[in-house]
Amino acid sequence: MISLPAPHLEIDVLVLGIAILLFETFAARVDKKIFAYVGILGLTLVLIASFFLAPNSLEQTSAFWSFYTADGLAIFFKRFELITTIVVLAMMIDYAPVMRGATDRFGSNLGEFFSLPLLTCAGLMYLVSAIDFIFIFVSLELVTISFFVLVSFSRKDAVALEAGVKYLILGGVSAAFLVYGITWIFGVTGETNLQRITTAFASGNIDIQAATFGAVLIVVGLGFKIAAVPFQIWVPDVYQGAPTPVTAFLSVGSKAAGFVVLIRVLKPFLMLPNMQRLLVLLALLTVIYGNLAALPQNNLKRLLGYSSVAHAGYLLIAVLCLDGPAMTFYLVAYLLMTLLSFAVLIVVSQQNGDEISGFNGLGKRQPLLAFAMVIAMVSLAGLPFTAGFFGKFFIFAAAIAQKQFLLVAVGIVTVACGFYYYLKVIRAMYWPAAGQPSVQNEIITISPLSRLIMVALMVATIVLGVYPQPILNALKH
Amino acid sequence: MITLEHYLMVSGMLFAIGFAGVMVRRNIIIILMALELMLNAANLSLVAFSRFHVNASGTPNYNAQIFVFFIITVAAAEVAVGLAIVVALFRLRQTTNVEDITALKF
Repeated sequence: MISLPAPHLEIDVLVLGIAILLFETFAARVDKKIFAYVGILGLTLVLIASFFLAPNSLEQTSAFWSFYTADGLAIFFKRFELITTIVVLAMMIDYAPVMRGATDRFGSNLGEFFSLPLLTCAGLMYLVSAIDFIFIFVSLELVTISFFVLVSFSRKDAVALEAGVKYLILGGVSAAFLVYGITWIFGVTGETNLQRITTAFASGNIDIQAATFGAVLIVVGLGFKIAAVPFQIWVPDVYQGAPTPVTAFLSVGSKAAGFVVLIRVLKPFLMLPNMQRLLVLLALLTVIYGNLAALPQNNLKRLLGYSSVAHAGYLLIAVLCLDGPAMTFYLVAYLLMTLLSFAVLIVVSQQNGDEISGFNGLGKRQPLLAFAMVIAMVSLAGLPFTAGFFGKFFIFAAAIAQKQFLLVAVGIVTVACGFYYYLKVIRAMYWPAAGQPSVQNEIITISPLSRLIMVALMVATIVLGVYPQPILNALKH
Repeated sequence: MITLEHYLMVSGMLFAIGFAGVMVRRNIIIILMALELMLNAANLSLVAFSRFHVNASGTPNYNAQIFVFFIITVAAAEVAVGLAIVVALFRLRQTTNVEDITALKF
């Protein structure tokens, strides 16, 4: 039986990313899409390897293991990030024709576009394993800086560059807040390791005011990453301006890693007085703002941006109840439905643009795409028999167990509000409003790979909506 | 006698000046400089905390000083990418003023 230590997974992904970058520099003549296929293949191998990890052994006493953990949560989310990156690479292949037009010469740097997600993926995998503030900061910046490049990748497109600048400035501010908060926590406890910080907090022998100051700054810094109100200002603009596969990556991969870090960090911080109240306030603002601001949107990418703010609010409810399984299940459901809707959007938008009106009459022209979109929207809205329903159900159950009735009440009202804007997309596909003729155009071709991915995501959304046990069991190990 | 409080005061002021710069200034290059100021404020207080948190053996707590090196490295990487984006923007729009880039709106 082969078995390898957990840190090898990230090293493999990094080596793969750097190898692709080097090959694309020296192999100018090949079709760049081959690099994306190599990336998908390599990540699939790493994903398979993640099921043959060596069991935690005594070697873990070395200093490295005070920075890095390979617990169940970390391993689960490493697979989560690998799957996300595989789907995003497949989307990028579909999106390549758009990028060719928007970058320099004939797609001369598409290879970089395909290798950067691998480096980002390695950063995300480090991030879900990080249990030391130094490691959290460095891997978070690996992710963020790769995303700066990915968001503003279409250099000929003023909108993408604008999104890049906005993400750069706000990402920089959030990093500064995070570092300054870490500084204060270090000043109070003399430690950067989360376990030892928890011990120091539990001893009660600390300066509460200074610790709260540091904790609030850290929550602000992480709030930018997970797009919690009032730190969500960058989300709609960046989501709309970035290339669509990057938007999907940003909304799933980066957000999931942010929540894993948040739940690890909050374990000590929730011992501080008033921290819970602050987080309840953040969660309330986030669900209300995200759902209300999504209502008038006509651009689907922007609508999904606001919807991701709203989902961050529901996830915050799970995090402040410190309910890891509820958060994990919601993130898995969120991965399935969000990637599905972006996969459909990429195929449709190449002909009709990102506006919801571009979907008019899609039900007749493209039954498969329209049906995939229906599943995604219904699941995002949280109707029964989809993964999204159980996601919200577990979170509200956790909140009731913690006696957070205000959160539950506001959560349920805003879910109802969400029905309106998600079902608006479905109405456009099957019953376009009078006076808006359905868009006529040639048959949209879907590549076999994205067809396979769409069907897999659809099936998984429905199966988890009926039988959520596999995910709950996977977490127990 | 210069105490820990003095260092923290200076560092807090640097952080506040940097944050105000990000909020108030309109030139992206200046905003990037203000961001650097915020990160360096954190560096200053990390080194101060490290120097004043003496271990039982009498040595400073070196964790924080190692962290400072990581922050300096990351800040350099961030500015390299940031300036590349600003140059690309300038080539396309001939501006580095944030008030001129308003294509994306509610």
